[in-house]
Amino acid sequence: MASGKPPLNPYLAGVFLGLVLTASYAVLGAGLGASGGLARLAAALSHLAAPAHTQASAYFGAWAPHYLSYYLVFMFVGLFVGGLLSAGVAGRLRPGLERGPGCPAARRMVFVFGGGLLVGFASRLAQGCTSGQALSGGALLLTGSLIFLAALFVSGFAVARFFRSQWYA
Amino acid sequence: MLSTFYGTDRLDSGAAWAAAFLLGVLFGIALEQAGFGSSRRLAAVFYLDDLAVIKVMFTALVTAMLGLIFLTGTGLLPPDQLYYLPTVYGAHLLGGLILGAGFAMGGWCPGTAAVGAASGKLDAWLFLAGGLAGCILFNELYPLLKPLATWGEAGVDFLYPHLGLSQGSAAFYVSLLAVAVFWGCELLERRRGVGGQLLSGRFLPTFSGALLVAAAVAYLAAPLPGMGPQPGAKGEAALLAQVEAGLDHMEPEELADRLLAREPGLVVADVRSEAEFQAFHIRGAIHAPLPRVHEVLAPFKNKGTIVLYSGGMTHAAQARDSLFRQGFRNVYLLSEGLVGFRERVLKPASLRAEPVTPEMAARISAWRTFFAPAPPAAAGPEPAELPAPLPGLVETEWLARHLGQPWLKIIDLRSQPEYNSGHIPGAVYLNYDSLRGVVGGVSSMLLPGELLAAHFSLMGITPGDLIVLAPGEKMQDATLVGMAAERLGHRRYAILQGGMPRWLAEKRPLTTALPAITPSRYPVPPGADDFTVAADKVLEASRRGRPLILDVRPAEYYRGEKSEEARAGHIPGAKNRPFSDDVIAGKEGVFFRPAAELAAAYARLLPDKDTPVIVHCRTGHQASQTFFVLKRLLGYRQVLYYDAGWSEWASRPELPVVKEGK
Repeated sequence: MASGKPPLNPYLAGVFLGLVLTASYAVLGAGLGASGGLARLAAALSHLAAPAHTQASAYFGAWAPHYLSYYLVFMFVGLFVGGLLSAGVAGRLRPGLERGPGCPAARRMVFVFGGGLLVGFASRLAQGCTSGQALSGGALLLTGSLIFLAALFVSGFAVARFFRSQWYA
Repeated sequence: MLSTFYGTDRLDSGAAWAAAFLLGVLFGIALEQAGFGSSRRLAAVFYLDDLAVIKVMFTALVTAMLGLIFLTGTGLLPPDQLYYLPTVYGAHLLGGLILGAGFAMGGWCPGTAAVGAASGKLDAWLFLAGGLAGCILFNELYPLLKPLATWGEAGVDFLYPHLGLSQGSAAFYVSLLAVAVFWGCELLERRRGVGGQLLSGRFLPTFSGALLVAAAVAYLAAPLPGMGPQPGAKGEAALLAQVEAGLDHMEPEELADRLLAREPGLVVADVRSEAEFQAFHIRGAIHAPLPRVHEVLAPFKNKGTIVLYSGGMTHAAQARDSLFRQGFRNVYLLSEGLVGFRERVLKPASLRAEPVTPEMAARISAWRTFFAPAPPAAAGPEPAELPAPLPGLVETEWLARHLGQPWLKIIDLRSQPEYNSGHIPGAVYLNYDSLRGVVGGVSSMLLPGELLAAHFSLMGITPGDLIVLAPGEKMQDATLVGMAAERLGHRRYAILQGGMPRWLAEKRPLTTALPAITPSRYPVPPGADDFTVAADKVLEASRRGRPLILDVRPAEYYRGEKSEEARAGHIPGAKNRPFSDDVIAGKEGVFFRPAAELAAAYARLLPDKDTPVIVHCRTGHQASQTFFVLKRLLGYRQVLYYDAGWSEWASRPELPVVKEGK
């Protein structure tokens, strides 16, 4: 499906992203991050469902009671706004469930939810995701971040065949 | 000079949140413009149908890497204004593997999914819902996962020193690699007929050239080597505010008084660079440079009180924050850092602006007597010079090459007449038995930490020193002193393979001159060690069959045919592996058997490196050798030491004994 303008030259997009990351370090003193905001949101939701349990829990509990008073939550909101602006201008606002020809919606939904579950879990284990750990830490040539980055791609390539059916007939 | 929200402790302010929001908007635009609002495009990288993910990520990484080197290398952005994620090897490896699988499965990662969700993609919303569930699952399982999440903690750790590279040269190689990867991606896409248009035209060569020029400039701008801490930087690290309350600062006056009172369990750690530490440090402080702060302080985790200091406060706060994340709950910061310590403790009463009471003047004078004469700069060895791994073995050739180094402390364990008629230059004499005494009525027990620290102090040993133990004919004399080092948390020790007989046989340098020793103030370890066990634990192990009890006495003592104690025989369930089987002693010296041979022998008794084992002999002397073999040469992780051994067990009639043939 043709959707709006073609994406930017990947190298130019990469330079732009790298400059935003540099600016983040220069202004905030910390890199970009997405899963940090997501985790805060998860803690807040957990608090809505079970306040006492969440406050007493070993991981989320450290953020109580102002789970959302954290700079990465604001960055996460900014990500949405930026994505919306950019997609709107480029004519890429196309609601729908993205999947390959012949892939039943249910399969794509199961895969995408399961993928999210793994990613959410792994981002807490590794204290960051593709942006907060791999990219932000990688730019400082931190050992752990680069190990994470390498493991991410090795694993992605290794298991991709099992999820091929959601894209290719 | 730029100061960041993190560096000035304002990451929780409204201004920081507004900045984070704006950066998030730009971040979102960058991802969306790259075409990452589409899971199909993202997932395509794993089927080699569109390699944009690799191109964008690698370009961004290299751009930011070079940008940060420019900013820090030119001094515009002091490195202590940045937050460095600490490395946790196991968690990062496993987290990366799981995250990669989830990325391939779902076609999104958190940042791109946010952009996808904003573009109206239903699957992105589902992915984020899954992500929330994954975070909640992690929280619920956290008590179980905690060992995994902290598995392989290494503190703030940069890759390039491991490769023997400076920051600048590493950045250049990474840029070179990036250019190679970009060309490879384009070629692959063209071959597969899915892209590669950029191979024709001037863009890619121009871009590659520009990148390499930028990398070359960064190489010139980069500080040598790595990050140079900036002394005197003020302000607490920002994440400090986030971590729980109850962790406080310690005022310089209080620290001075507590050090003066020689409070046991008080560990003062200097997180500045080697050069700064050598130039001056608070008396009694140990050196825990930022990249190795976890490793150095691990023995004191949640034992006693750790006080960190740097020039100002930012570095110490950064270290404290990083330690806190790894479970340290006993870390304090020195208020105002070394700057404050100089001003409020070391400054003579006569130079102070404010009026000084006679009591205060007396206090200041006592402090100055204790702290002002800077101890001789104990030059810690450069890591590259140390034999690896430590604790471990060292060869005579290595020792001969490093004689005279201020950080090298050699202990000669032969008899005093042997020592006095010729020893390694700089070596001190020690009778291993002076480190033992009657403890709780049991004889020949390794002395408590404070007494061992006093012995080490008399020998002029400081925590940064490398101790080389040179036995005479008995390897266990060296390993017993090794146990003392272990109890003090002193990891930098090595045993001279071959001992003194080998040194003599090889006709290496000797002297009869006594060494010049400046007594040190070796810090007293907080609390007991974590490897010594008492009889009750051994009895429990005997009943439960775990941990394995290893009796290392000669076989005839184990069997009960010979005895020098109240009763003959062995602890029920104990296995016998005589300590003498682990060494080869001859005219040429006393040597540990080759590691492979030892590993094979012990693999039969202890199937994996996590099998818990208690070692004992009669008095703890021989068992110290087996302890060293298992823990330090073979890497068994759970080795316990029943120091009191058979001399106690046999004398306590309520404890069970078996004799062979009964």
